[in-house]
Amino acid sequence: MVRSRRQPLGSVIAVNAVLVLAAAYFLLPLLWVVIAATKSPGDLFASFGLWFSDSPQALENLSRLFTQDGGIFGTWVLNSVLYSAVGAFVAMVLSAACGYAIAKYVFRGRETLFSVILGGVLVPATVIALPLYFLLNAAGLTGTYWAVLLPSMVSPFGVYLARIQANAAVPDEVIEAARIDGAGDLRIFGSIATRMMVPALVTIFLFQFVTIWNNYLLPLVMLNDTKTFPITLGLTLWNSQTQRDPMFYQLVVTGSAVSAILLVALMVSLQRFWKADLTAGATKG
Amino acid sequence: MFGQRTRIPRLALAGTVTVGLVAALAACSSGGSSASGGSSTGGEPVEITFQSWVPNIDQAVDAFNASHDDIEVKLETITAGPDGGYAKMLSAVQAGNPADVVQLGYDAIPDFLINDALEDITEHVGDAEDDFVPWQWQTGVFNDKVYAVPQASGPLGQFYRKDIFDSLGLAYPTTWDEYYEAAKVIHASDPNKYITAFAFNQAPWLIGLSQQAGASWFTAEDDAWTVSIDDEATLKTAQFWQKLIDEGLVKIEADFSSEWNADIQNGNVATWISGSWADAILRGTAPDTAGKWAVGPMPQWNAGDSVSATWAGGSASAVLKGSDHPAEAAEFALWLNSDPESVNILTNVGAGWPAVADTSEITALQDAPEVFEFYGGQDIWDVFAESDKSVDTSWKWPPLSSTLFSSLTDNVKSAVDGGTPLADAFTKTQDDMVAALEDKGISVN
Repeated sequence: MVRSRRQPLGSVIAVNAVLVLAAAYFLLPLLWVVIAATKSPGDLFASFGLWFSDSPQALENLSRLFTQDGGIFGTWVLNSVLYSAVGAFVAMVLSAACGYAIAKYVFRGRETLFSVILGGVLVPATVIALPLYFLLNAAGLTGTYWAVLLPSMVSPFGVYLARIQANAAVPDEVIEAARIDGAGDLRIFGSIATRMMVPALVTIFLFQFVTIWNNYLLPLVMLNDTKTFPITLGLTLWNSQTQRDPMFYQLVVTGSAVSAILLVALMVSLQRFWKADLTAGATKG
Repeated sequence: MFGQRTRIPRLALAGTVTVGLVAALAACSSGGSSASGGSSTGGEPVEITFQSWVPNIDQAVDAFNASHDDIEVKLETITAGPDGGYAKMLSAVQAGNPADVVQLGYDAIPDFLINDALEDITEHVGDAEDDFVPWQWQTGVFNDKVYAVPQASGPLGQFYRKDIFDSLGLAYPTTWDEYYEAAKVIHASDPNKYITAFAFNQAPWLIGLSQQAGASWFTAEDDAWTVSIDDEATLKTAQFWQKLIDEGLVKIEADFSSEWNADIQNGNVATWISGSWADAILRGTAPDTAGKWAVGPMPQWNAGDSVSATWAGGSASAVLKGSDHPAEAAEFALWLNSDPESVNILTNVGAGWPAVADTSEITALQDAPEVFEFYGGQDIWDVFAESDKSVDTSWKWPPLSSTLFSSLTDNVKSAVDGGTPLADAFTKTQDDMVAALEDKGISVN
């Protein structure tokens, strides 16, 4: 991309200044938590928050984090990964199929169905946590991994995004051409459409992954056993113990840093899928 | 219990329906949930679940299981009550799938009662009343029925930097008047030093100070609550702290904040009125100040008195409504909080000051060298034992205590931020609390 020469210098500076400010606003807490994770429990409060203390001990903190309570933090990380990865993957597949179907098939009640699903975007997750508890309790699933996984597998926003993307990125001509070549609907969807929708699918996956990763209320209501806790619930449990033992502050801070860094790593590693869709120009404009 | 009667039948009905559903479905679900219930036959022990967030309480549960063949307790560690644990327990009661025994703060018991979530365990534990400190036992008693067995509390004492007091030639302040004089001397010696932090964020602290002055904010009579948050004793307390704030003698600072932690470490805050469990917090937060601290009783309003208070009550064990085995659950709740072996374990893991009346068998309270060393060799447990005995038994927690806490801290914070009178903050809290109770359909006199 070549920057247009006509753009006045002043506005470029202004825009960049705003962006730098916004970046600082979002990055400072992350910076604080990463720096704080290297401090000893004493230095945590005694030293300046945004710079390292004289005696950093990141490794010691990490080893304490992963050995406290029999290494339960490792279990929490794996649980969070399981809930988020499986939940987000299934949500992505379902959203893609649903969004594609709504975009490409004309059937009675299509817009009504879509509106109902869109309405789901407006209902906060907090509101449905309790009804979900009653529902899953009736099915005898509370306290199991399924209690958190099942509700995480749907994403109304994902359906919306997938429909938009299917409309924009999967031309009807391609589908018709595939049909003429003898491909069935499933094959067209699985082998052609999904590939054209990759940027949206990655977005859905990441959105849902982060949502599940940060979810607190649902696992709080559903789970009874610390071995099934995700990181959010586990760290809150530890945080409530700081009143009895301030050493837990350091564990919670280090745990938060690890949790945040894992998310950042995931974002960065999936970023390459966010390129402009590769089939642009597959049909004649 | 108090008001809200109309909701109960519907909930109970929903509960029964769900229990039926669960029982039907449990047959086909392979995963774990033991909703089968029923009476135990032969040598099969009755299994009950216990939800708590007290660290290391599993040691006490293990001890129970080791000494009991007929009951098997399964511990479920959950997030602390105010962080969502209570909401979780209440929804489990509604869904008809509750844990049998739960950890419950004294201040949360009325909330559970108006939700009809607690089992009346009078017939199982009523005889044990004399084993417990009276004020702690009374927190679980409503209308002469026992709903909870007290576990532990935080009787208040004053932690203070003895070295600072000594170096300034200050005697320990035994009355609030002496406290005020000491505050002046400490601040005059160094403009960065204050006698204490005024913790506007800490409702239990603000409440404890009022309670010690003789305030009794809530009384329940004939299914209606009388609310008097703006009573004389409270306003007297508010005016006292107003004077300290106006003269800049206390540091207005949230406790447990990073600034507060730093001030505790470097001696800029010289005292802290807190619960007995705070000893571990000081030792953990400011290990470098070992030997410089001591503990004294709360300053008194009238010289020669010995009146104390607690940090938001304490913690109890209660049996949830809908438990399949209320008798066994009550037996465990009683054993957990009264058996010397268990109370020893609980005290050692830091559950708080035990609720049992006789603490002579609690070894951790007889001698604790590593604790006493931090306090210059003082037997600080003597102070808290005295404090525990001096707590007024008439204090009752209301329903909606979380509303009380948040309203109180909001109002006190805006008073110190805006420079408006502290007394008004309590008057405002009175109005807020009455409105909140009435909103919930609870009658207020």
